[in-house]
Amino acid sequence: MDVELRSHIAAFADDLIRNGVPEQDAVRRARIEFGGIELVKEECRDARRVNLIQDLIQDLRYGLRVLGRNPGFTAIAVITLALGIGANTAIFSVINSVLLESLPYKDPDRLARLFSHPLNTSNNYSVSGEDYRDWTAENSSFENMTLYSGFQNYNASGAGLPETIIVARAQDNFFSVLGVSAQFGRVFVPGEDPHGTENIAVVSYGFAARHFGDPASAIGKAVRLNLQPYTVVGVMAPHFNYPETAEAWIPLSMSLEIIGRRGNYSFSALGRLKPGVTLPEAQADLSGIAARLAQEYPITNSLEGVYLVSLKERLTGDSRMQLLVLFGAVALVLLVACTNVANLLLARATGRQREIALRAALGASRGRIVRQLLTESVLLSFTGSALGLAGAWWLIRFAQSVKTLPLPQQNPIQLDVTVLLFTIGVSLLVAILFGLMPALEAMRTAFNDELRSSSRNVAGSSGWRLALRNALVIGEVAASLTLLIGAGLLLRTFARMRTADLGVRADHVLTAAVVLPDTKYKDLSSRREFYGRLLERVEHLPGVKAAALSQAIPLEGSHGQTAKLPGDTDLRRQALGINVNFVTNDYFRVFGIPFLSGGGFTPEQVNRAFGVGQELTNYWNSDARLLNAPQPKWSTFAIINRTLARALWPNQDAVGRTFITNIVQPVTVVGVVGDEKYDSIRDKPAPEAYFAATEQLNNSWYPPNIVVRTAAAPESVLGGIRGALHELDSELSLFRVRNMDQVIADGMQDTSLQTVLLGAFAALGLVLSAVGIYGVMAYLVTQRTHEIGIRMALGAQRGNILRLILGRGAKLTLAGVVIGLAATFALTRLMKAMLFGVGATDPLTFASVSIFLFIVAFLACYIPSRRAMRVDPMVALRYE
Amino acid sequence: MEKQLDLLKGTLEMLILKAVSLGPLHGYGVLLRIQQISKDRLEIQQGSLYPALYRLEHQGWITSEWGESENNRKAKYYRLTAAGKRRLLTETEKWNSMNDVIAGILRTTPEEV
Repeated sequence: MDVELRSHIAAFADDLIRNGVPEQDAVRRARIEFGGIELVKEECRDARRVNLIQDLIQDLRYGLRVLGRNPGFTAIAVITLALGIGANTAIFSVINSVLLESLPYKDPDRLARLFSHPLNTSNNYSVSGEDYRDWTAENSSFENMTLYSGFQNYNASGAGLPETIIVARAQDNFFSVLGVSAQFGRVFVPGEDPHGTENIAVVSYGFAARHFGDPASAIGKAVRLNLQPYTVVGVMAPHFNYPETAEAWIPLSMSLEIIGRRGNYSFSALGRLKPGVTLPEAQADLSGIAARLAQEYPITNSLEGVYLVSLKERLTGDSRMQLLVLFGAVALVLLVACTNVANLLLARATGRQREIALRAALGASRGRIVRQLLTESVLLSFTGSALGLAGAWWLIRFAQSVKTLPLPQQNPIQLDVTVLLFTIGVSLLVAILFGLMPALEAMRTAFNDELRSSSRNVAGSSGWRLALRNALVIGEVAASLTLLIGAGLLLRTFARMRTADLGVRADHVLTAAVVLPDTKYKDLSSRREFYGRLLERVEHLPGVKAAALSQAIPLEGSHGQTAKLPGDTDLRRQALGINVNFVTNDYFRVFGIPFLSGGGFTPEQVNRAFGVGQELTNYWNSDARLLNAPQPKWSTFAIINRTLARALWPNQDAVGRTFITNIVQPVTVVGVVGDEKYDSIRDKPAPEAYFAATEQLNNSWYPPNIVVRTAAAPESVLGGIRGALHELDSELSLFRVRNMDQVIADGMQDTSLQTVLLGAFAALGLVLSAVGIYGVMAYLVTQRTHEIGIRMALGAQRGNILRLILGRGAKLTLAGVVIGLAATFALTRLMKAMLFGVGATDPLTFASVSIFLFIVAFLACYIPSRRAMRVDPMVALRYE
Repeated sequence: MEKQLDLLKGTLEMLILKAVSLGPLHGYGVLLRIQQISKDRLEIQQGSLYPALYRLEHQGWITSEWGESENNRKAKYYRLTAAGKRRLLTETEKWNSMNDVIAGILRTTPEEV
C-alpha cells in the first residue's frame, strides 16, 4: 500500500513537471494535492477488513512502545501477574498432586479398605483371614477383594549392604484389584505361588535402583529377604507406594496354615466395588455378613463388626478442611494480584485520557481505539502469564527434584493445567476489563473537554475512578491481612507444638529398630537371649547413660488393646481403649518419665512375662482358636500411666490392684508413671499400659526398638551400637535410626507443611499488596506534583507534604485492616482443627499482624512520600 | 480551466469500475482515465480514490496484480472481475433510470403538474 501510494505521488509529480511546475515544487505539490497519506492509508485499511492482522501488528508494535516507555508500570504489572499466576499455580499444583488428585490406580473411587470393627470399641482393626474368606464368598457389592499384610519389617539384601525394609505379603490378585502393572517385568498373576514356596518378589523402583543401579536390570536377579533367597520378577513404577512405604511384595499364600485362624486379626483387606455400588450400600451388605458370622462363631466373632472406608479417605486422611483453607489462600492471592493489576491499569488510564481524546479528535474510530487498548492489555497479560508459566514450571521442577519433600506421595508432582488456565483466564479478564475502562469512559465524555483541560487538573481523575481505586487498595489490604493472620495462627500453632509437653525428655535420645529374621531366630529363647546381649553391650558403650528396649516410640503410635476391671463380664459394655507398650525397666529412665508410685518389674515378673509370651505364641500357632475354644487366662504384670490409673481407680493408689485386657488377665499393677503422648502432639495423653518386653519379642510388625539416652549428641553412639550389632550377627542392620528431635519433627510434618504453605501464600499476598499500595501512592504523587509545588510555593513545609501523602496511605490501610479483621474473624473459625494451643481468634496474632501490615504499608507509602517531599516548587510549577 | 464538478456521492466507485473495464489500470491511471473521459470536468479527490479501490477489491469486483508502470515504477494494476462486470451493468442501468426520472422531474413545467 505504501509503495502504491508513493508511486502514485511520484507519477503525479512527473505529470506536474511535464506541465511546467518546477521540479523542486512538484513533489511537495503532489503531496499537498493528494491529501493526508496516513489518513488515506487508514481508510484503505478500513476498506478492506482483511487488514486486521496488519492493524494487530501495528498495535502490538505501538503497545510494546507504550509499555517500554513506562518501565516501572510495566515491570510492576508483569511481576504481579507472574507471581499471581506462577507462584499460585506452582503451590497449588503441589497440593493438588498430593491431596486432591485421584490416586494413581484404576477407578480409584471404587477402592475401599475393609476393617474389622469390634463393636465395643470405636477403633478399626486388621481383619482375620477366615472372616475375609467369608466376606469374599458372600458379598454382592464388590467386584473383587484382595488380602495383604503390610508393614512387616524384613531384613533385606540384594547386591548392596543388608538393610531393613517393609515387605508386604499380598494375595495374587493384589495388583489387579488396584489396577496397576509393573514398570519392568510383571506383577503377580492369578494362581501365583499357591503354597508360598516359589520365592518370587516384586520390588519398588527405589529398592531396585539402590541394589542394582539400573532398575530394569533387577529382573531375574536374586535378593535375600529375611535371609531367604527370592527372585525379582517385577519392578514397580517410582511412584507406586502401596501399602505405604512398602519396598517389596511377595505372594501371600492363602493356605489355612498361613491365614486360616479365625480370630487372628493380622491382615489388611482392600476391595473394588462393583460399578454403581455406593459405600453405604456395601457397608450394609458386609455388616449383614458380619452379623451372620457372629452367630455362627460366637467365641471369636460375637463382637466383630466390619467397617468400610474409601481408600482415598484412608490415604489422604482428613484433608478436606486443610484443602479448603489452602483453596481460600489461592483465591485471596489471586484476588490481590488482580486488584493490583486493575489498580495499575486504572491509574494509567487517567494518564492516557488525553492521549485517547487526541486520537479520537484526529479521527480514530471507537472500534479502533478499543482495539488498540485491548491489544495493550492482552500484551501485558500474556507477558505476565508467560513469565508466570516459566516460574511455575521452574518451581515444580524444583519440587520434583527435592526428594525429601515432607508430603505423603501417592502421585508424581505435576503442573496443574486447570489451575494454570484458571489463573491466566482471571488475570486476562481483569486486564481486559480495566484496560478498556479508559476507552469506554473516553466514549462518554466529550473529547473536547478532555483536551481543553490540561494535565494540570488537580484531582487527577474523576471521582468515581478515585473511589474505585481506593476500594481496590482497601480490598487488597483486607485480603492480605486475612492471609497473614491465617499464617500467623499456624505459626503460633507450630511454636506451641514445639514447646508442648510430651511427658518425655526428648533431647539426647536415639532410637533404632532391630528386626530378627524369624527364619534364623525361630524360638523366643533365642530372641530373648539376642536382645539381652545386645542391650548389655549397648549399655556399656561410652557415652550411653541408659539403654532400653521398647516396642513403641512416643508420638509414633502404639497398638491398642482394651482394658476393664475384673468381674465386669458384660461383653457389650464399652471397654476402655488403651495403648500398650512392651519395655524394659530403663525405658522410663531413657525418656525421663517419673514413677508416681510403685516401681519397675522384678526379674521374676520379667520371667513370668516371658512365659506368657511363649504361651501366647503357642496359642496363636495352635488349632485352639480354630476350634473356637475359649481363650486361656494368663496372669501378668504391668506398669500403667496416670491417666489409666485414674480411669480405673479414681483417687486411689493403683499399685497392687488388678485389671483385665482382651488378651491377658488378671494384670497386676506394679507401678504408676507420668503420662506421655503416644499418638500425636495434638492429642491428650491416652491411657497406657507397659508390659515387660519379654512378652512380645516375635513381632515383626512392631519390632523392638533400642532406645538410648546419650551424654553427647545422640548420633555419637551410633557407630558403637552398629559395631555391637555386627559383632553379634553380621547379617543384621539397624532400621529407622532417628533421634527423638527428628521423631518430633516428623510428628509435626502436617503442621510444618501447612505453616510453610500458608506462609508462602501470605508472603506472596503481602509483597503484592505492598507493591499495590506503593503503586497507587507513587502515582498519586506524580499526579499531584503540580499541586504539591503550589503548596510548597505557598509555604508548606516538607513535613506537611510528607504528612499529606502518608496520611492518605494510612487512611486506606486502616480501612483495609478494619474490613480485613472483620472478614478474618469469620474465616479463621474454619481452620480451628488445624490449630493447637491457640484460639482461632487469638487477639495477639490479630493485633501483631495488623501492626505488621501497617508497618509494611507505611514503608510502601514512604518512598513516594519522600519523592513528594523533594519536589522542587519551581520545577513543579514550570512543568507542564 | 472551466469550473469542475464535484462528484456525486457514491458515483466514484461506478466510475472506477467503468474506467478499469476499458483495460487494466494502476491507481493514478484510473484517476487520469476518469479525468480524460470527463474532459477534466470532474474533480476527484485523490485521497478518496484508494479507499474506494480497496473497498471494490474487498468486495471482489476488481482484482489487482503488481506490475511496472510506464516509467519503470512498481505499480498495482486493477482489472474488472466477472462479478464487477455484472455490477457495472446493474449500476449503469440504475443510474440511467434514475437519471431519466430525475431529469423528467426537473424538466417539468408548471403547466404539466
